[in-house]
Amino acid sequence: MPSKKSLHIESSGQLCIYCGACVGICPLNCIYLDETRITFDEKICTRCEICVRACPVGAIEIG
Amino acid sequence: MAPDLTTDVLVIGAGPSGSMAAKWAAKAGARVLMIEKRQEIGSPVRCGEGMSKDWLADVGIKPGRWINVEVEGARIYSPSEKVFEINEKHAGNEVGYVVERDEFDKQLAIDAANEGVEIRLKTAATGILKENGSVVGAKVKQFGTTFDVRAKVTIAADGFESQVGRWAGLPTNIALRDMDTCLQYRMTNVDCDVRYCDFYLGKVAPGGYVWIFPKAEGLANVGIGVQVSQIKGMAEARSYLDRWIDHHPAYAKGKKIDMVGGGVSIAPPMKQTVLDGFMVLGDAARMIDPLTGGGIANGCIAGKICGTVAAEAVHSGDASKKVLDKYEKGWRVRLEEKLYRNWLAKEKLTTLSDETFDKIVDALLGVKLEKLNVHNILKAVHEKYPEVTKEFEAFL
Repeated sequence: MPSKKSLHIESSGQLCIYCGACVGICPLNCIYLDETRITFDEKICTRCEICVRACPVGAIEIG
Repeated sequence: MAPDLTTDVLVIGAGPSGSMAAKWAAKAGARVLMIEKRQEIGSPVRCGEGMSKDWLADVGIKPGRWINVEVEGARIYSPSEKVFEINEKHAGNEVGYVVERDEFDKQLAIDAANEGVEIRLKTAATGILKENGSVVGAKVKQFGTTFDVRAKVTIAADGFESQVGRWAGLPTNIALRDMDTCLQYRMTNVDCDVRYCDFYLGKVAPGGYVWIFPKAEGLANVGIGVQVSQIKGMAEARSYLDRWIDHHPAYAKGKKIDMVGGGVSIAPPMKQTVLDGFMVLGDAARMIDPLTGGGIANGCIAGKICGTVAAEAVHSGDASKKVLDKYEKGWRVRLEEKLYRNWLAKEKLTTLSDETFDKIVDALLGVKLEKLNVHNILKAVHEKYPEVTKEFEAFL
Protein backbone atom coordinates (compact mmCIF):
# COMPACT_ATOMS: atom_id res chain seq x y z
CA MET A 1 0.00 0.00 0.00
CA PRO A 2 1.41 3.42 -0.88
CA SER A 3 2.12 5.55 2.15
CA LYS A 4 -0.19 8.47 2.84
CA LYS A 5 0.85 11.97 1.88
CA SER A 6 1.56 14.25 4.77
CA LEU A 7 -1.01 16.76 5.95
CA HIS A 8 0.12 19.83 7.81
CA ILE A 9 -2.16 22.28 9.58
CA GLU A 10 -0.30 25.46 10.47
CA SER A 11 -2.17 26.26 13.66
CA SER A 12 0.53 28.05 15.63
CA GLY A 13 -1.15 31.32 14.67
CA GLN A 14 1.12 32.35 11.82
CA LEU A 15 -1.56 31.48 9.28
CA CYS A 16 -4.47 29.80 11.05
CA ILE A 17 -7.24 32.06 12.35
CA TYR A 18 -9.03 29.21 14.19
CA CYS A 19 -12.23 29.74 12.22
CA GLY A 20 -13.28 26.09 12.13
CA ALA A 21 -14.03 25.96 8.39
CA CYS A 22 -11.90 22.80 8.03
CA VAL A 23 -13.57 21.19 11.04
CA GLY A 24 -17.06 21.67 9.64
CA ILE A 25 -16.33 20.42 6.14
CA CYS A 26 -14.22 17.34 7.05
CA PRO A 27 -16.28 14.42 5.75
CA LEU A 28 -14.71 12.07 8.28
CA ASN A 29 -15.14 14.34 11.30
CA CYS A 30 -11.47 13.97 12.13
CA ILE A 31 -10.31 17.59 12.57
CA TYR A 32 -10.69 19.13 16.02
CA LEU A 33 -10.67 22.77 17.11
CA ASP A 34 -9.79 23.56 20.71
CA GLU A 35 -9.93 27.38 20.86
CA THR A 36 -6.43 28.04 19.56
CA ARG A 37 -5.27 24.61 18.57
CA ILE A 38 -6.30 22.51 15.60
CA THR A 39 -5.50 18.83 15.49
CA PHE A 40 -6.51 15.99 13.21
CA ASP A 41 -6.59 12.23 13.52
CA GLU A 42 -3.72 10.97 11.42
CA LYS A 43 -5.20 7.46 11.28
CA ILE A 44 -8.69 8.46 10.10
CA CYS A 45 -7.64 11.22 7.67
CA THR A 46 -7.53 10.01 4.04
CA ARG A 47 -5.84 13.19 2.72
CA CYS A 48 -8.92 13.98 0.62
CA GLU A 49 -7.72 17.62 0.57
CA ILE A 50 -11.19 19.08 1.05
CA CYS A 51 -10.01 21.02 4.11
CA VAL A 52 -7.18 22.52 2.04
CA ARG A 53 -9.75 24.09 -0.26
CA ALA A 54 -12.08 25.11 2.56
CA CYS A 55 -9.38 26.97 4.52
CA PRO A 56 -9.84 30.68 3.73
CA VAL A 57 -6.26 31.60 4.56
CA GLY A 58 -4.19 28.67 3.22
CA ALA A 59 -3.09 27.24 6.55
CA ILE A 60 -3.45 23.61 5.47
CA GLU A 61 -0.95 21.94 3.16
CA ILE A 62 -0.66 18.46 1.76
CA GLY A 63 2.70 17.23 0.54
CA MET B 1 -12.00 13.65 38.65
CA ALA B 2 -14.89 16.07 39.15
CA PRO B 3 -18.24 14.65 40.27
CA ASP B 4 -20.78 14.04 37.52
CA LEU B 5 -23.64 16.49 37.08
CA THR B 6 -27.31 16.04 36.36
CA THR B 7 -29.68 18.55 34.83
CA ASP B 8 -32.98 18.63 32.95
CA VAL B 9 -31.64 20.24 29.79
CA LEU B 10 -28.04 20.42 28.58
CA VAL B 11 -27.31 22.99 25.88
CA ILE B 12 -23.98 22.59 24.10
CA GLY B 13 -22.81 25.92 22.70
CA ALA B 14 -23.65 29.45 23.88
CA GLY B 15 -24.18 31.15 20.53
CA PRO B 16 -27.47 32.87 19.75
CA SER B 17 -29.50 29.72 19.11
CA GLY B 18 -28.09 27.92 22.16
CA SER B 19 -28.84 30.88 24.44
CA MET B 20 -32.35 31.12 22.97
CA ALA B 21 -33.09 27.45 23.58
CA ALA B 22 -31.64 27.67 27.09
CA LYS B 23 -33.64 30.78 27.92
CA TRP B 24 -36.99 29.45 26.73
CA ALA B 25 -36.48 26.08 28.41
CA ALA B 26 -35.65 27.79 31.70
CA LYS B 27 -38.53 30.22 31.34
CA ALA B 28 -40.83 27.20 31.09
CA GLY B 29 -39.48 25.83 34.35
CA ALA B 30 -36.71 23.42 33.31
CA ARG B 31 -33.30 23.25 34.99
CA VAL B 32 -30.84 24.21 32.27
CA LEU B 33 -27.06 23.98 31.99
CA MET B 34 -25.45 25.67 28.98
CA ILE B 35 -21.80 24.92 28.25
CA GLU B 36 -19.43 26.92 26.06
CA LYS B 37 -15.99 25.71 25.03
CA ARG B 38 -14.55 29.19 24.63
CA GLN B 39 -13.47 31.43 27.48
CA GLU B 40 -15.61 34.30 26.25
CA ILE B 41 -19.13 34.06 24.86
CA GLY B 42 -19.37 35.73 21.45
CA SER B 43 -15.64 36.00 20.89
CA PRO B 44 -13.85 35.65 18.57
CA VAL B 45 -16.58 36.85 16.21
CA ARG B 46 -17.19 34.70 13.16
CA CYS B 47 -19.81 36.69 11.35
CA GLY B 48 -20.43 39.46 8.82
CA GLU B 49 -22.61 41.06 11.52
CA GLY B 50 -25.56 41.96 9.30
CA MET B 51 -29.01 40.76 10.34
CA SER B 52 -32.67 41.31 9.57
CA LYS B 53 -34.79 42.66 12.38
CA ASP B 54 -38.48 41.83 11.97
CA TRP B 55 -38.18 38.55 13.91
CA LEU B 56 -36.53 39.89 17.07
CA ALA B 57 -39.64 40.81 19.07
CA ASP B 58 -41.17 37.41 18.34
CA VAL B 59 -38.41 35.57 20.15
CA GLY B 60 -38.14 38.12 22.96
CA ILE B 61 -34.95 39.98 21.99
CA LYS B 62 -34.97 43.69 22.80
CA PRO B 63 -32.84 46.16 20.83
CA GLY B 64 -29.74 47.04 22.81
CA ARG B 65 -26.27 48.47 22.64
CA TRP B 66 -25.26 45.61 20.34
CA ILE B 67 -26.73 47.57 17.41
CA ASN B 68 -24.10 49.53 15.45
CA VAL B 69 -26.20 50.84 12.62
CA GLU B 70 -29.78 50.53 11.42
CA VAL B 71 -29.58 50.45 7.63
CA GLU B 72 -32.24 51.68 5.21
CA GLY B 73 -31.66 49.11 2.54
CA ALA B 74 -29.36 46.86 0.58
CA ARG B 75 -27.63 47.48 -2.74
CA ILE B 76 -26.96 44.61 -5.11
CA TYR B 77 -24.07 45.24 -7.53
CA SER B 78 -23.96 43.26 -10.76
CA PRO B 79 -20.54 42.31 -12.21
CA SER B 80 -20.53 45.49 -14.34
CA GLU B 81 -21.61 47.29 -11.17
CA LYS B 82 -25.13 48.21 -12.09
CA VAL B 83 -26.88 48.76 -8.78
CA PHE B 84 -30.24 47.42 -7.71
CA GLU B 85 -31.48 48.92 -4.49
CA ILE B 86 -33.64 46.99 -2.08
CA ASN B 87 -35.31 49.19 0.48
CA GLU B 88 -37.33 48.51 3.56
CA LYS B 89 -40.63 48.99 1.77
CA HIS B 90 -40.41 45.87 -0.33
CA ALA B 91 -37.93 43.86 1.66
CA GLY B 92 -38.72 44.68 5.28
CA ASN B 93 -37.55 41.36 6.61
CA GLU B 94 -34.23 41.31 4.78
CA VAL B 95 -33.18 44.78 5.91
CA GLY B 96 -32.07 45.55 9.38
CA TYR B 97 -29.08 46.05 11.59
CA VAL B 98 -25.34 45.82 11.47
CA VAL B 99 -24.41 44.56 14.91
CA GLU B 100 -21.62 43.97 17.37
CA ARG B 101 -21.92 40.19 17.36
CA ASP B 102 -19.93 39.58 20.53
CA GLU B 103 -22.16 42.03 22.41
CA PHE B 104 -25.26 40.43 20.89
CA ASP B 105 -24.23 36.92 21.92
CA LYS B 106 -23.41 38.11 25.44
CA GLN B 107 -26.78 39.86 25.76
CA LEU B 108 -28.58 36.65 24.78
CA ALA B 109 -26.54 34.72 27.33
CA ILE B 110 -27.44 37.34 29.97
CA ASP B 111 -31.12 36.96 29.04
CA ALA B 112 -30.73 33.20 29.52
CA ALA B 113 -28.91 33.64 32.84
CA ASN B 114 -31.69 35.95 34.03
CA GLU B 115 -34.13 33.07 33.55
CA GLY B 116 -31.98 30.86 35.74
CA VAL B 117 -29.77 29.11 33.20
CA GLU B 118 -26.43 27.92 34.61
CA ILE B 119 -23.52 28.72 32.30
CA ARG B 120 -20.08 27.10 32.28
CA LEU B 121 -17.25 28.51 30.19
CA LYS B 122 -14.16 26.63 28.98
CA THR B 123 -16.36 23.56 28.95
CA ALA B 124 -16.35 21.47 25.79
CA ALA B 125 -18.39 18.40 24.92
CA THR B 126 -16.05 15.54 24.08
CA GLY B 127 -18.60 12.80 23.52
CA ILE B 128 -22.23 11.86 23.80
CA LEU B 129 -23.77 9.60 26.47
CA LYS B 130 -26.20 7.00 25.18
CA GLU B 131 -28.30 4.44 27.03
CA ASN B 132 -30.62 1.98 25.29
CA GLY B 133 -30.39 4.04 22.11
CA SER B 134 -31.35 7.32 23.81
CA VAL B 135 -29.05 10.28 24.30
CA VAL B 136 -28.80 10.89 28.06
CA GLY B 137 -26.24 13.69 28.19
CA ALA B 138 -22.66 14.35 27.20
CA LYS B 139 -19.11 13.76 28.30
CA VAL B 140 -17.56 17.17 28.91
CA LYS B 141 -14.17 18.62 29.72
CA GLN B 142 -13.88 21.74 31.87
CA PHE B 143 -10.48 23.26 32.67
CA GLY B 144 -8.91 19.97 31.67
CA THR B 145 -11.12 17.80 33.88
CA THR B 146 -13.47 15.30 32.26
CA PHE B 147 -16.86 14.38 33.70
CA ASP B 148 -20.36 13.35 32.62
CA VAL B 149 -23.35 15.65 32.45
CA ARG B 150 -26.54 13.60 32.54
CA ALA B 151 -29.56 15.34 31.04
CA LYS B 152 -33.13 14.44 30.14
CA VAL B 153 -32.75 16.48 26.97
CA THR B 154 -29.47 17.33 25.20
CA ILE B 155 -29.38 20.16 22.67
CA ALA B 156 -26.48 20.50 20.22
CA ALA B 157 -26.04 24.14 19.25
CA ASP B 158 -22.33 23.83 18.54
CA GLY B 159 -22.20 25.87 15.37
CA PHE B 160 -20.93 25.34 11.87
CA GLU B 161 -18.14 22.99 12.95
CA SER B 162 -20.62 20.86 14.89
CA GLN B 163 -19.46 17.43 15.87
CA VAL B 164 -22.02 16.66 18.55
CA GLY B 165 -24.76 15.98 16.00
CA ARG B 166 -22.56 13.49 14.19
CA TRP B 167 -21.53 11.83 17.45
CA ALA B 168 -25.19 11.38 18.32
CA GLY B 169 -25.85 9.78 14.94
CA LEU B 170 -27.34 12.51 12.78
CA PRO B 171 -25.67 13.04 9.40
CA THR B 172 -24.80 16.73 9.49
CA ASN B 173 -22.12 16.40 6.80
CA ILE B 174 -22.29 18.89 3.96
CA ALA B 175 -21.32 18.69 0.30
CA LEU B 176 -18.63 20.98 -1.10
CA ARG B 177 -21.16 22.90 -3.12
CA ASP B 178 -23.16 23.44 0.06
CA MET B 179 -20.45 25.39 1.85
CA ASP B 180 -18.96 28.82 1.41
CA THR B 181 -15.57 29.60 2.88
CA CYS B 182 -15.50 33.17 4.16
CA LEU B 183 -13.02 35.84 5.08
CA GLN B 184 -13.65 39.36 6.26
CA TYR B 185 -11.64 42.40 7.27
CA ARG B 186 -12.95 45.13 9.49
CA MET B 187 -11.61 48.23 7.77
CA THR B 188 -11.30 51.80 8.90
CA ASN B 189 -10.78 54.92 6.77
CA VAL B 190 -13.05 53.56 4.03
CA ASP B 191 -15.78 55.38 2.09
CA CYS B 192 -18.78 53.28 3.11
CA ASP B 193 -22.40 54.41 3.17
CA VAL B 194 -23.98 53.76 6.55
CA ARG B 195 -27.43 53.68 4.95
CA TYR B 196 -26.80 50.47 3.02
CA CYS B 197 -25.47 46.96 3.18
CA ASP B 198 -23.78 46.30 -0.18
CA PHE B 199 -23.50 42.99 -2.04
CA TYR B 200 -21.29 42.36 -5.10
CA LEU B 201 -22.18 39.36 -7.26
CA GLY B 202 -20.46 37.37 -9.98
CA LYS B 203 -16.97 36.07 -10.64
CA VAL B 204 -15.53 38.42 -8.03
CA ALA B 205 -16.80 35.79 -5.58
CA PRO B 206 -17.64 32.49 -7.32
CA GLY B 207 -20.68 30.90 -5.72
CA GLY B 208 -20.93 33.64 -3.12
CA TYR B 209 -20.63 37.39 -2.88
CA VAL B 210 -18.56 40.25 -1.53
CA TRP B 211 -20.26 42.19 1.25
CA ILE B 212 -19.81 45.62 2.77
CA PHE B 213 -21.62 46.01 6.09
CA PRO B 214 -21.09 49.50 7.54
CA LYS B 215 -20.49 49.69 11.27
CA ALA B 216 -20.04 53.48 11.52
CA GLU B 217 -18.92 56.36 9.30
CA GLY B 218 -15.66 55.22 7.73
CA LEU B 219 -15.78 51.78 9.37
CA ALA B 220 -17.09 48.65 7.66
CA ASN B 221 -16.91 44.87 7.52
CA VAL B 222 -15.58 43.98 4.08
CA GLY B 223 -15.94 40.28 3.47
CA ILE B 224 -16.30 37.49 0.96
CA GLY B 225 -17.85 34.05 0.71
CA VAL B 226 -16.70 31.62 -2.00
CA GLN B 227 -18.30 28.25 -2.74
CA VAL B 228 -15.82 25.51 -1.82
CA SER B 229 -16.66 23.46 -4.93
CA GLN B 230 -15.45 26.36 -7.08
CA ILE B 231 -12.07 26.57 -5.31
CA LYS B 232 -9.01 24.85 -6.71
CA GLY B 233 -6.05 26.01 -4.68
CA MET B 234 -5.06 27.32 -1.28
CA ALA B 235 -6.20 30.55 0.39
CA GLU B 236 -8.51 31.47 -2.48
CA ALA B 237 -11.02 33.26 -0.27
CA ARG B 238 -8.23 35.62 0.79
CA SER B 239 -6.94 36.10 -2.76
CA TYR B 240 -10.40 36.92 -4.10
CA LEU B 241 -11.09 39.38 -1.30
CA ASP B 242 -7.70 41.10 -1.62
CA ARG B 243 -8.19 41.38 -5.38
CA TRP B 244 -11.63 42.90 -4.94
CA ILE B 245 -10.34 45.46 -2.44
CA ASP B 246 -7.43 46.36 -4.75
CA HIS B 247 -9.92 47.18 -7.50
CA HIS B 248 -12.11 49.42 -5.32
CA PRO B 249 -10.31 52.62 -4.32
CA ALA B 250 -12.94 53.47 -1.68
CA TYR B 251 -11.75 50.38 0.22
CA ALA B 252 -8.17 49.97 -1.05
CA LYS B 253 -7.25 53.12 0.88
CA GLY B 254 -8.64 51.64 4.11
CA LYS B 255 -6.75 50.00 6.92
CA LYS B 256 -7.52 46.60 8.38
CA ILE B 257 -8.13 46.39 12.10
CA ASP B 258 -9.60 42.91 12.39
CA MET B 259 -9.79 39.68 10.43
CA VAL B 260 -12.53 37.08 10.66
CA GLY B 261 -12.92 33.75 8.90
CA GLY B 262 -15.28 30.84 8.88
CA GLY B 263 -17.42 28.35 7.09
CA VAL B 264 -21.05 28.94 6.17
CA SER B 265 -23.35 26.13 5.14
CA ILE B 266 -25.53 26.84 2.12
CA ALA B 267 -27.18 23.45 2.32
CA PRO B 268 -30.73 22.16 1.96
CA PRO B 269 -32.63 21.63 5.22
CA MET B 270 -31.60 18.50 7.13
CA LYS B 271 -33.95 15.54 6.92
CA GLN B 272 -33.86 14.84 10.64
CA THR B 273 -32.88 17.00 13.61
CA VAL B 274 -34.24 14.94 16.51
CA LEU B 275 -33.33 11.66 18.22
CA ASP B 276 -34.50 10.16 21.50
CA GLY B 277 -33.36 12.69 24.12
CA PHE B 278 -31.57 14.86 21.55
CA MET B 279 -32.10 17.89 19.31
CA VAL B 280 -29.69 19.70 16.98
CA LEU B 281 -30.15 23.41 16.38
CA GLY B 282 -28.94 26.48 14.49
CA ASP B 283 -25.83 26.39 12.27
CA ALA B 284 -25.17 22.88 13.60
CA ALA B 285 -28.52 21.85 12.05
CA ARG B 286 -27.65 23.66 8.79
CA MET B 287 -30.41 26.22 9.31
CA ILE B 288 -28.50 29.02 7.59
CA ASP B 289 -30.36 30.63 4.69
CA PRO B 290 -28.56 29.18 1.64
CA LEU B 291 -29.14 32.32 -0.41
CA THR B 292 -28.02 35.02 2.01
CA GLY B 293 -25.77 33.03 4.33
CA GLY B 294 -27.63 34.54 7.28
CA GLY B 295 -28.09 32.21 10.24
CA ILE B 296 -28.93 34.27 13.32
CA ALA B 297 -32.65 34.78 12.72
CA ASN B 298 -33.31 31.15 11.81
CA GLY B 299 -31.21 29.89 14.71
CA CYS B 300 -33.06 32.07 17.21
CA ILE B 301 -36.52 31.26 15.83
CA ALA B 302 -35.76 27.54 15.97
CA GLY B 303 -34.05 28.02 19.35
CA LYS B 304 -37.21 29.32 20.97
CA ILE B 305 -39.19 26.34 19.66
CA CYS B 306 -36.41 23.97 20.72
CA GLY B 307 -36.24 25.30 24.29
CA THR B 308 -40.01 25.30 24.69
CA VAL B 309 -40.28 21.69 23.50
CA ALA B 310 -37.36 20.64 25.72
CA ALA B 311 -39.20 21.98 28.78
CA GLU B 312 -42.39 20.20 27.76
CA ALA B 313 -40.47 16.94 27.47
CA VAL B 314 -38.97 17.46 30.92
CA HIS B 315 -42.36 18.17 32.51
CA SER B 316 -44.04 15.20 30.85
CA GLY B 317 -41.18 12.89 31.82
CA ASP B 318 -40.90 11.73 28.23
CA ALA B 319 -38.04 12.97 26.05
CA SER B 320 -38.51 10.39 23.34
CA LYS B 321 -38.18 11.29 19.71
CA LYS B 322 -41.97 11.20 19.48
CA VAL B 323 -42.29 14.09 21.94
CA LEU B 324 -39.30 16.05 20.61
CA ASP B 325 -40.74 15.75 17.09
CA LYS B 326 -42.80 18.78 18.04
CA TYR B 327 -39.59 20.78 17.61
CA GLU B 328 -38.89 19.15 14.28
CA LYS B 329 -42.37 20.01 13.04
CA GLY B 330 -42.28 23.48 14.59
CA TRP B 331 -39.09 24.70 12.94
CA ARG B 332 -40.07 23.14 9.63
CA VAL B 333 -43.38 24.99 9.58
CA ARG B 334 -41.54 28.28 10.18
CA LEU B 335 -38.41 27.81 8.07
CA GLU B 336 -38.29 24.75 5.84
CA GLU B 337 -40.10 25.94 2.73
CA LYS B 338 -37.99 29.08 2.43
CA LEU B 339 -34.78 27.21 3.20
CA TYR B 340 -35.49 24.69 0.47
CA ARG B 341 -36.58 27.27 -2.09
CA ASN B 342 -33.55 29.44 -1.40
CA TRP B 343 -31.28 26.41 -1.64
CA LEU B 344 -32.70 25.65 -5.10
CA ALA B 345 -32.20 29.29 -6.08
CA LYS B 346 -28.62 29.14 -4.78
CA GLU B 347 -27.97 26.00 -6.83
CA LYS B 348 -28.90 27.96 -9.96
CA LEU B 349 -27.34 31.29 -9.05
CA THR B 350 -23.95 29.73 -8.37
CA THR B 351 -23.80 28.54 -11.99
CA LEU B 352 -24.61 31.88 -13.65
CA SER B 353 -22.18 33.82 -15.80
CA ASP B 354 -21.34 37.46 -15.17
CA GLU B 355 -23.30 38.32 -18.29
CA THR B 356 -26.43 36.70 -16.89
CA PHE B 357 -26.03 38.45 -13.52
CA ASP B 358 -25.81 41.74 -15.39
CA LYS B 359 -29.02 40.96 -17.27
CA ILE B 360 -30.84 40.03 -14.08
CA VAL B 361 -29.87 43.24 -12.29
CA ASP B 362 -30.57 45.26 -15.42
CA ALA B 363 -34.06 43.78 -15.69
CA LEU B 364 -34.80 44.72 -12.09
CA LEU B 365 -33.84 48.36 -12.56
CA GLY B 366 -36.90 50.54 -12.93
CA VAL B 367 -39.28 47.73 -12.03
CA LYS B 368 -41.55 48.30 -9.07
CA LEU B 369 -41.52 45.14 -7.00
CA GLU B 370 -44.28 44.94 -4.41
CA LYS B 371 -42.50 42.33 -2.38
CA LEU B 372 -39.01 41.05 -2.93
CA ASN B 373 -38.81 37.30 -3.30
CA VAL B 374 -37.36 34.81 -5.74
CA HIS B 375 -40.66 34.48 -7.59
CA ASN B 376 -41.18 38.22 -8.14
CA ILE B 377 -37.57 38.73 -9.20
CA LEU B 378 -37.83 35.97 -11.79
CA LYS B 379 -41.09 37.40 -13.11
CA ALA B 380 -39.45 40.76 -13.66
CA VAL B 381 -36.43 39.20 -15.36
CA HIS B 382 -38.69 37.01 -17.51
CA GLU B 383 -40.39 40.05 -19.01
CA LYS B 384 -37.14 41.57 -20.23
CA TYR B 385 -34.86 38.57 -20.78
CA PRO B 386 -37.02 35.45 -21.21
CA GLU B 387 -33.97 33.40 -22.25
CA VAL B 388 -32.37 33.99 -18.83
CA THR B 389 -35.29 32.57 -16.90
CA LYS B 390 -35.61 29.42 -19.02
CA GLU B 391 -33.60 27.43 -16.52
CA PHE B 392 -35.65 28.78 -13.66
CA GLU B 393 -39.05 27.72 -14.94
CA ALA B 394 -39.58 25.50 -11.92
CA PHE B 395 -39.75 28.65 -9.78
CA LEU B 396 -42.32 30.38 -11.99
